[in-house]
Amino acid sequence: MEAFDFLVPANLQHLATLLQTPGRKLIAGGTDLIPSLRQAHSLPAQIIDISRLRELRYIREQNRIVHIGALTSFRDVQNSRILNEKAPALVQAAGQIGSPMIRTRGTLGGNIAHASPAADSLPALLIMDASVTLSSQKGQRTQMLCDFLLNPGKTDIHSDEILTDIFFEKPSTNCAASFVKIGPRRGMTIAIVNAAALVGLDNDGRINQARLSIGAVAPTAIRCRLTEQALIGCLPSEKLWESISSIIQEEISPIDDIRGTAQYRRRAAFILSKRALNAATQSLQTRMQA
Amino acid sequence: MKKIRVTLTVNGHTHLFETDPNRTLLEVLREDIGLTGVKEGCGEGECGACTVIMNDEPINSCLVLIGQADNSNIETIEGLAKDGKPHPLQKAFVELGAVQCGFCTPGMIMASKALLDRNSHPDEEQIREALAGNICRCTGYKKIIEAVQSAAEEMSHE
Repeated sequence: MEAFDFLVPANLQHLATLLQTPGRKLIAGGTDLIPSLRQAHSLPAQIIDISRLRELRYIREQNRIVHIGALTSFRDVQNSRILNEKAPALVQAAGQIGSPMIRTRGTLGGNIAHASPAADSLPALLIMDASVTLSSQKGQRTQMLCDFLLNPGKTDIHSDEILTDIFFEKPSTNCAASFVKIGPRRGMTIAIVNAAALVGLDNDGRINQARLSIGAVAPTAIRCRLTEQALIGCLPSEKLWESISSIIQEEISPIDDIRGTAQYRRRAAFILSKRALNAATQSLQTRMQA
Repeated sequence: MKKIRVTLTVNGHTHLFETDPNRTLLEVLREDIGLTGVKEGCGEGECGACTVIMNDEPINSCLVLIGQADNSNIETIEGLAKDGKPHPLQKAFVELGAVQCGFCTPGMIMASKALLDRNSHPDEEQIREALAGNICRCTGYKKIIEAVQSAAEEMSHE
């Protein structure tokens, strides 16, 4: 690895001061950054280690809003009672990221900031209508996650900002969510395509809430808003899921890459959407019958 | 590049040293402390040969900068034997033929130990999941899983 200076902020305020100097790079879990540092020919002169900033590692619920600190690890997500209840798709996604070792170190904030189109946490957060809080010495601003993600590896973060908090409104009790993914093997795999769905049903069993997000089929993980609209008011059925295929194809723009072809991704996006919608619906129907 | 001061407790012994920050925990364990049981396979967190336990959780030591490990408590394969007796996992790996070339073995055993520290009676699925980040190119995994099951069984009688 090339040379760099290693800075450790004492707290968030100190970190905001350190970020006033441009060109410094943050490291949290390091699971994405260290492999890229090893291959890089020119490194940032200074690396700021935020991995032990305890104040950014929390999961809490306040006034119907669930807040997750950016340095929360995937293992923390898996073990959280709040998230198991309120965001099961996010827990399912966290459990399918990398290996147990990666889940110990990898952080939710890092997964978002790294902005891989295939990041597993993103579809699971997009169906929660999640937002992010960005902090700097000037103060804080919040942004919807769907607007924060711009392109592969690119977000709307400014160089003096740090992603501090991820938050979403607690979902209503008459809905359920699910995350699914496909890759060459079950463990330790980067998704060829991933998808998350949230479904709500009214008393007649008709869909009154539908959110669908697919990853690795566009420059960022996306929400499929046209597909969602087409589902509202319908009774869930295999035929209904089949009927949305053509709308999904309009909403995605997959490419060929080392992990899969665009053609494969088009097929997989439809199949995974069906599986995610079906799993969410079945989990809700089981709960409603109980 | 400014050197940094790091304190590491490894297998119960505390080490204080000054080092360049552009090194990984793996490099320091092998080169400075001489614990060559921890292996470098891929250097990017794919193979698990560098697995150690840091503050009671399994990690890839190739993916931790040494400065990030300051003040941490590290367990490596060298710390498992007690009073000259191998750990039940080590014994089971040898007796059940879960070791062939041996390169993946320290990582496999440390990932297995992290599992058994939390869950003393894992089922096969849980063992497979705990070892999903450890690659073996010799044994085909079956004997490794049997060894973990056998060690768990033995440890439950202790």
